[in-house]
Amino acid sequence: MLSEEFERRRRSNPRYSLRAFALSLRIDSATLSQVMRERRRPSPRATEALCVRLGLAEPQREMLSCEARRAGHERRILRQLGRADFVAGSRRLARRLRLRVDEINAALAQLAREGRLRMVSPARWVALEPDGAR
Amino acid sequence: MKPCPVVHWQALVRDPGRAAGFYATCFGWNVDDRNALGYREVAAAEGGIGGGLWPLAEGSPLVQLFVEVPNVENALATAHTNGAQVIIPKQILPDGDEMAVILDPEGIAWGLMRRARQPQ
Repeated sequence: MLSEEFERRRRSNPRYSLRAFALSLRIDSATLSQVMRERRRPSPRATEALCVRLGLAEPQREMLSCEARRAGHERRILRQLGRADFVAGSRRLARRLRLRVDEINAALAQLAREGRLRMVSPARWVALEPDGAR
Repeated sequence: MKPCPVVHWQALVRDPGRAAGFYATCFGWNVDDRNALGYREVAAAEGGIGGGLWPLAEGSPLVQLFVEVPNVENALATAHTNGAQVIIPKQILPDGDEMAVILDPEGIAWGLMRRARQPQ
């Protein structure tokens, strides 16, 4: 979302800089860069603030906030799969990641749908490259 | 081919906890989430089939039906050959059940499942 908006602004002004974009969003440019490269995940509150500063309408803001939260959960779940002590199960994941079981399950469904996670046995879940990246 | 029965329903809802309370109050359904997935299972009432509640990742709430098949991989292949799209490939759940979801040529999403144990 941020990258798309930045590119949109650059199309109308090729000299538009990341620094100017960060200033308009009232965020530090290094942080913005990390967020845009998905190296850093803004909190739901920060996402909401960014949406307001981008001038998005309420339904779109809510949708993006939900997506931001879930995308963060998905990344955290995938990181867990590679751990030697990982045990398959939403309850364990929820405890470890301090999330609600429903948040874990919504993220699991999305990961399975996108082909990024496969439950290959009752005890083993593996992370996969998304279909488009194969 | 032996007909495959519809054995399970699943409501994809925005707030499974709230939905469970509603269904318990309005329909007397017994919802139990004591399993590894925290899946809110709804026990089959007399004369009916069991189901469950799952949190919605995106889109609108809906109810999906699950068809029990002898072999999920084979059923997926047959469905695909006959024009269905595989939405969720086969997953083996912590309790040993196998499930997948297809979108049939009519645009209806069906769950396919093979239960590890038959319900009591």
